[in-house]
Amino acid sequence: VGEAGRGGDTRHAGASAYVAGDDVRGGATRPAGASAYVTDDDVRGGATRPAGTSPYVAGGAVDAVVLAQRLGERLRAAGVPVTTERAARFARGLELVPPTDRARLYWTARVTLAGDRAQLDAFDRVFAAVFDAVRDPAGAPRGDPNAPRVPARPAPPGPAADRQGGGGDGPSGAAGADTPAGGGDRPVVLAAASARERLGEQRFDRLAPGELEEIALLAAGLRVATPRRASRRRRRSHRGDRLDLRATTRAALRTGEPFDLMRRRRRERPRRLVVLCDVSGSMAPYARAYLVLLRAAAGARAEVFAFATRLTRLTRALAGPDPDAALARAAAAAPDWAGGTRIADALAAFNDRHGRRGLARGAVVVILSDGWERGDPERLGEEMARLRRLAHRVIWVNPRRASAGYAPLVGGMQAALPHCDAFLSGHSLHAFEAVLDAIRDDARSIREEAGP
Amino acid sequence: VSGAARPGAEAPVRELIPDDAALAARLGAEDYLADPGLVTALFLGLRLPQPLLLEGEPGVGKTEAAKALARALDTPLIRLQCYDGIDAAEALYEWNHPRQLLRIRLAESRGHPLAENELFTPGDLIRRPLLAALEHPGPRPAVLLIDELDRADDEFEAFLLELLAEAAITIPELGTIRAAHPPAVVLTSNRTRDLHDALKRRCLYHWIDYPDAEREIEILRRRVPGTAHALALDVTRALRRLREAGLQKPPGIAEAIDWVAALELLGMERLTTAGADRTLGSVLKYREDVELARARGAEWLTGAARG
Repeated sequence: VGEAGRGGDTRHAGASAYVAGDDVRGGATRPAGASAYVTDDDVRGGATRPAGTSPYVAGGAVDAVVLAQRLGERLRAAGVPVTTERAARFARGLELVPPTDRARLYWTARVTLAGDRAQLDAFDRVFAAVFDAVRDPAGAPRGDPNAPRVPARPAPPGPAADRQGGGGDGPSGAAGADTPAGGGDRPVVLAAASARERLGEQRFDRLAPGELEEIALLAAGLRVATPRRASRRRRRSHRGDRLDLRATTRAALRTGEPFDLMRRRRRERPRRLVVLCDVSGSMAPYARAYLVLLRAAAGARAEVFAFATRLTRLTRALAGPDPDAALARAAAAAPDWAGGTRIADALAAFNDRHGRRGLARGAVVVILSDGWERGDPERLGEEMARLRRLAHRVIWVNPRRASAGYAPLVGGMQAALPHCDAFLSGHSLHAFEAVLDAIRDDARSIREEAGP
Repeated sequence: VSGAARPGAEAPVRELIPDDAALAARLGAEDYLADPGLVTALFLGLRLPQPLLLEGEPGVGKTEAAKALARALDTPLIRLQCYDGIDAAEALYEWNHPRQLLRIRLAESRGHPLAENELFTPGDLIRRPLLAALEHPGPRPAVLLIDELDRADDEFEAFLLELLAEAAITIPELGTIRAAHPPAVVLTSNRTRDLHDALKRRCLYHWIDYPDAEREIEILRRRVPGTAHALALDVTRALRRLREAGLQKPPGIAEAIDWVAALELLGMERLTTAGADRTLGSVLKYREDVELARARGAEWLTGAARG
């Protein structure tokens, strides 16, 4: 028993060190609620506790519970429903599997805190944000090496010293230090304002964890407006094109003579927006970004479908107030998220099952895909032609278009292009705004955007 | 059962499996190579103790994990295969009515009619998997595998939930049977439908991914003894391509083992284009998938296209 106890001791010291490291680091990215967390002193006290102390007495237990609560909070904020029961299980798990390295901590946390595959992406994001903050905030090389580097979270409102302390003890300290302002004393408002500048041109497939949410916040001000169409119902109007006999008669009752001719005209309704989102491997980052952006911009008014090899209707899955949960539901609903691509099949399924029945009639249809058709390009052309006949406008968004020297040479893209009213890149927030313009546009013709 | 009152695993389990490394070693000794994630999940399930819900693509080894756990614990594996329409009688127990009738006749013929409380005895029970798991005599708990729970219906799930929470059942004629050694529970689901939140809440959750290349080579070489390392490496690379090709049924580990066994039987030491073409049927189980792989070409599959 004594030996086991000692083993536990050293492991536990390691565990606390890991927690402490995070806590210190946490300062770099953590939002204002920081004071609710344990202070560095508390945790460091745990880490440097003399080896003779029993590892699982109060101090150790507190560390695990605090860590569990804190991680739980962050996960809940990201849409992973961590119950207190799960958090408690995680705390007990930490005792059974002392987190001596990242992998052990990761697996104990994931097995106890996540409850569904759909939550794993969000879980990984949060876990990385909490525990890997110091190593590399992006987790991957960024798009433009010359672009100013800024901490990944929007407007961390913590005290400047806190942030600098966080940045100062690791490799990303350098990244934190060369923010435009050169440190933590730049006003928060400016940080938020510059987010648009910084992220506006950021390619959607090179977003760091967390940046997508940030972009969604920026996009919250954008609104999708589709062109209007005349509806079947009419309403009274002075400039109407038809006489409203009933209203005219009623007016005549007052005067005895039909003096005032009342008129009616067709009421106008915004056209329906239908989005077909390619979620195959190469398009997955864009698909996520678009679902987030469209949710922000269009709310539940857009009909959204995902396709790779099959077509899945996501409208229902994307409804609801919480964007992360909605995305998780959407990913769960679309079974071949990041699978292969069969665009013609998906379009045929859409035309047959939804489009012809009225969903696409007179609608603005946005297709987000790189046009890599694995099937027969000719069939894609045929299905596009069918779709165009049904829809008011067809807009094709292809992020590859943003690459220098891009020409639509892929068979599928070439076959589809003659049937599109607009062909855009939509690869960044600024380019997404161009897509919104195209959705607003009422003209039925190919409209080329200015090159990036 | 509140979290705080949970006593943790029984002493025999704690002694046999003191930490996750011990479990990994015992699983390895049973020729089951689990990655750290799965080891952590099985270990926590065993030691917290808590039911463990395993999900993953068909063929990643969910069922195999439970079997290996039972072997590692040196206890029986009790398996309940779920199916559409399964009910409590088929999962828990049934009365052996013919036996009861015979006993009554026998007693009458001896001139000692049975009293009413003698009609139902534990000997008249036909024990189905759940009851068998609860009654397991120990010293270590049995491993109860509830396989493909998504195929059973909601009511069965609710019934199961209650049973797992209590680790006890009440048989009206006999009274309550409480498990002396509550089983280590592993549930699997293929996600054909969403399991109820209440059930998920009670379970640890682990999504099993395909093993990484290194581990898969190790698995193949253990399961098909005599396989050349080069062949296992080739097959692993080909599997990677197949799994990323968007097939209807991407090859799992079982298919991979079949494939290597077939290649081994043909005396292959490397995965050649001709060999791959001859054995494609052992790894792809749908006509469309075979066609797709053929269309991509055997060179693509074996990596010969890239040299």
